[in-house]
Amino acid sequence: MSRVSIIGSGNVGANAAFFIAEKGVTDVLLIDVKQGLSRGKALDIMEAAPIRRYRNSLVGSDTVADIQGSQMVVIAAGAIRSPGMRREDLYGENAPVIEALAPQVARLAPDSVVVMATEPVDSLTALFTLRSGMPRTRVLGLGGILDSMRLRALISRELDVSMEIVSALVIGRHSDDMVCLPRYCSVSGVPLPQLLPPERIAAVISETRSAGDLVVELAKRSSAYYAPSAAIAELADSVHMNLSRIFPVSLMLEGEYGLRDAALSVPAIVGEKGVTKILTPELTREEKEALAQSARLIASVVRGGAA
Amino acid sequence: MKVTVIGAGNVGAKAVYYIAEKNIADIVMVDVVDGLAQSKAMDFLHAAPLRDYEVGIRGTTDFAEMAGSDVVVLTAGIARKPGMDRMDLLRTNVGIARQAAREIARRAPNAVVIVVTNPLDVIAMAVLRETGFALSKVIGMAGVLDSTRFRFFIAERLGVWPGDVQAMVLGGHGDDMVPLTSFTSAGGIPIGQLLDSSTIESLVGRTRTGGAEIVGLLKTGSAFYAPGASVAKMVEAVIKDEKRLIPASVYLRGQYGFRDIFLGVPVILGRNGVERILELPLTETERKSLEASAESVRRGVRELESL
Repeated sequence: MSRVSIIGSGNVGANAAFFIAEKGVTDVLLIDVKQGLSRGKALDIMEAAPIRRYRNSLVGSDTVADIQGSQMVVIAAGAIRSPGMRREDLYGENAPVIEALAPQVARLAPDSVVVMATEPVDSLTALFTLRSGMPRTRVLGLGGILDSMRLRALISRELDVSMEIVSALVIGRHSDDMVCLPRYCSVSGVPLPQLLPPERIAAVISETRSAGDLVVELAKRSSAYYAPSAAIAELADSVHMNLSRIFPVSLMLEGEYGLRDAALSVPAIVGEKGVTKILTPELTREEKEALAQSARLIASVVRGGAA
Repeated sequence: MKVTVIGAGNVGAKAVYYIAEKNIADIVMVDVVDGLAQSKAMDFLHAAPLRDYEVGIRGTTDFAEMAGSDVVVLTAGIARKPGMDRMDLLRTNVGIARQAAREIARRAPNAVVIVVTNPLDVIAMAVLRETGFALSKVIGMAGVLDSTRFRFFIAERLGVWPGDVQAMVLGGHGDDMVPLTSFTSAGGIPIGQLLDSSTIESLVGRTRTGGAEIVGLLKTGSAFYAPGASVAKMVEAVIKDEKRLIPASVYLRGQYGFRDIFLGVPVILGRNGVERILELPLTETERKSLEASAESVRRGVRELESL
């Protein structure tokens, strides 16, 4: 069975391991530099295996070197936000963690698909891609996929319809400048603007922008981790089963929408080799400008950090 | 919860299979052919230890056993043979449907009835008249099947996971069904941005003849996997009150300019059956196709009145 390694056994990492175990398509290796943490969580999850009928193995390790040969590597290491903090405030603390991991991952699992979950995700996706030298199609940041999931949940609540039939598209930076695209959101194919008046759409979008902040405010001692780890498990599924699912993921842009030198979420087809195709739906001039603005911010952060 | 499936042929049995796998309701299969429903129900139950069924499955020739059902699925009738038009089926199937409808009205007066027997839109009318049920309680299964075929063809062409494609197909369940390409998207992106118009046209054409394509290949029967799965989706939407937006054949009272006719339109399906009918803005071409589709259903209803 193929294997996914998760670096960082905090809430996001451990729950990603849990959701992946529930899907049962791949073995999981959970890693944390904190001695014993991963092994403890892995044991706890696996002791439920007889009841939950896991067919795959899930083990913990204290050593990053154990990721060798993994088909997928999830990076969920680093500090999380406290109430009042912005995701961008974590760059200074988390960038060194990612800079240290990038060459190690490139050496130990050079053919893996990397999923970046550490915040600020777009800047760190860019940093990881640059430092690892891995192709941009195999370093995917957990941004738009999570924002789209949240928008789906909120649209479903707003319309009182089943979540499963709601499709939503959010691209750009995983921050309050994310670009929500209501005309590319639909319910069983019916575009959202035909189902919801503009002011309600605006309210749902505004709630999506601050959805992550709200979780931090409410939980106080943790940031969101159920929805992020569910998104990681969806990506793992598409990679391990080569499903070619369409997800907005953050990756280094090389001319898409005229942008480069920054990672932003755009819709992409994700299979066993990572991104096999980037889709670039038509955008308005305002939407393109919003993307360009986000790209400039990320490029300057990553350049500054490298200096 | 209790679901009765009338007709233990291929479509009925496959629907029972998909419903059983969902573990959401006890299932009764009724067929007038002695031994048919009983043997298939027994075969299913023999798989229960492996498939973890937590629901009961019974087969019977006695309509009395459907007493108190929450959902009744009507699949009884003869299947289409190669070269046979759906209308050719009418004479035989309307007799079967009327008899079943009288039993439903007597034994399961509160049920939501899902009509599968072809010609679907006409048989649904016969069932509505014979049961005297509320308009929202009699629903024809067609659009889900036509849409799932359209979704599959698009996904196959784009090389993406079929679950990420959304589509809406309206009109009668015949060669003049109306696939709405403007309400069809992959990952939220309208297919007009992903495929050229001649490709879309060919996929639309294949969808229209999707049922016939299978009949032509099988030679001695018609499709039953996709129809069975479509039935199970609708049953689940009712049982779990999902409020799922799906295309289904329902009785129209002026919606889309049609009156006193069953025609495939988008509806919200929940515990009460049709919770709402959605009126989407259609292009001139789509409206004309829907009119043509309605005309062939009307022709069938006129034939029905002579029987």
